[in-house]
Amino acid sequence: MALSDRIDFAHATMSAVGMTIVVEGSPTRERATRSRWARLTRPALGLVLPVTLAVGWEIIVRMGWASGRLAPPPSVVFATFVDLARTGDLQRNTLVTLARVAAGFGIGVTAATIVGAAAGYSPLVRRLLDPSLQALRAIPSIAWVPLFILWLGIFEASKVTLIAVGVFFPVYLGLMGAIQSVDRKLVEVGRAFRLSDVAMVQRILLPAVLPAYVISLRSGLGLGWMFVVAAELMGASEGLGYLLIDGQQLGKPAEIVAAIVAFGIVGKATDWLIVLVAAPFLRWEDVVRSE
Amino acid sequence: MLILERIGKTYPNGVHALGGVSLDVELGEIVAVIGGSGCGKSTLLRAIAGLDPASEGAVLLDGERIVAPHAKIGIIFQEPRLLPWLKVADNVGFGLGDRPSAERAARVAAALKRVGLAEKANVWPRELSGGQAQRVAIARALVPRPEVLLLDEPFSALDAFTRSDLQDHLLDLWTDAKPTLILVTHDVDEAIVLADRVMVMCPRPGRIFDEIGVDLPRPRDRQSAAFDFVKRRVLAALDRSMQRVPTGAEAEPRAEAGAALWW
Repeated sequence: MALSDRIDFAHATMSAVGMTIVVEGSPTRERATRSRWARLTRPALGLVLPVTLAVGWEIIVRMGWASGRLAPPPSVVFATFVDLARTGDLQRNTLVTLARVAAGFGIGVTAATIVGAAAGYSPLVRRLLDPSLQALRAIPSIAWVPLFILWLGIFEASKVTLIAVGVFFPVYLGLMGAIQSVDRKLVEVGRAFRLSDVAMVQRILLPAVLPAYVISLRSGLGLGWMFVVAAELMGASEGLGYLLIDGQQLGKPAEIVAAIVAFGIVGKATDWLIVLVAAPFLRWEDVVRSE
Repeated sequence: MLILERIGKTYPNGVHALGGVSLDVELGEIVAVIGGSGCGKSTLLRAIAGLDPASEGAVLLDGERIVAPHAKIGIIFQEPRLLPWLKVADNVGFGLGDRPSAERAARVAAALKRVGLAEKANVWPRELSGGQAQRVAIARALVPRPEVLLLDEPFSALDAFTRSDLQDHLLDLWTDAKPTLILVTHDVDEAIVLADRVMVMCPRPGRIFDEIGVDLPRPRDRQSAAFDFVKRRVLAALDRSMQRVPTGAEAEPRAEAGAALWW
């Protein structure tokens, strides 16, 4: 009895020691596991709502509670998507749209950067140009379409110009505002160290305006994608917008949804590209990093 | 030698900030400028720096008239003003853009080691404490080896302990090359700990009201009777400069914590 008591006691003591070791080591390990798990699951949280809706709609159509003729279920959209990809239509039309957005974005950003930088840097240029540009900004860009078609024809030039106009204003405003709000105290540091005008731009103004400029580029790109749809809806023989019109005219809603999904994927990918390229230059920012 | 010849400053809005300040400062001398708010201390410092040139009179450094920022003049501001997009080492080397990179790296490393922040060379300014950031600002200003270093209330945003630590550290750094220091401050203790001369300014328009020599050996003991005597003189001059008649209690040295911050 006494022996078994001693054995029990020894066992309990060993367990307690074992527990202590586990307890000491576990919080860090648990935290690490939890944070790894959170890193993996956090992006997936955003998928919960769309996936639930898609699966729900799929079930509703499969059960025969709805026909799904005008709002096709995900399986049909996916099949159409695969079909369009297999025939090469999806890639060809996506590339055409991408090329239009790239051309319009390039022209719009170049013009907006030059004019925005000049207006931000020089009060004279700002007083000269800004009132007219603000007045033009107030006009819905789609209103220019008839004029662009008259001036530039119905082919690429008018479409690219429309996209460029859409991209121009957010980038112009963002850059001009960013230059005007550069911290005067940091500019003074540059002056105290006798920086030339060029060095002041390179070493103080450019890095200072970069965060706001990147945001304006992303806004501009978003508008570029919006305007390419408008441009292609008005008349195009190829492009993702053409797929939308084609789907509407031939009564193929799955093709419309497939084109919309393609717009979403390519639009998000190009936005992500800007973020990716800018990230190494913005590591210094002292911002709240959301979990 | 730095010579201020009847420096005056009138802003475009008509405010007469400085009304004829004259001062001769020897190389290696430490001069503190003290005075109430709005007496033109910072305006004077900015005129010497060439950031905001005087509208009357002249600033002469070794016979050369200063009308714009000059290689021989460095400045440290109230806030560290580090460039947030540059790592600490690049901030320190900011004023050495024209030097070969090897020389720049060596001088930056030496400066960071001198201010005790060698291990922080590769961090972003956002990761520094207030005191560390101001040390980096001091290193940045000293790295180009200025002949004159201007300090515009450089420690006023720091806590009392860090402030005292940095005052000692500044004196320590000053002994390396002994540049001329002109320090604008609100802190009577700080002025007496650091300076060879304390210039008391009075407002509307800003001018030098009194000059008090601090002939005490360094390092200075803040608790000594001699320090207390100088402090009493400076406080009395400050009171007179603001056209206040000191009462018996005010004329006494203010020994309680925080009393040395005068404004």
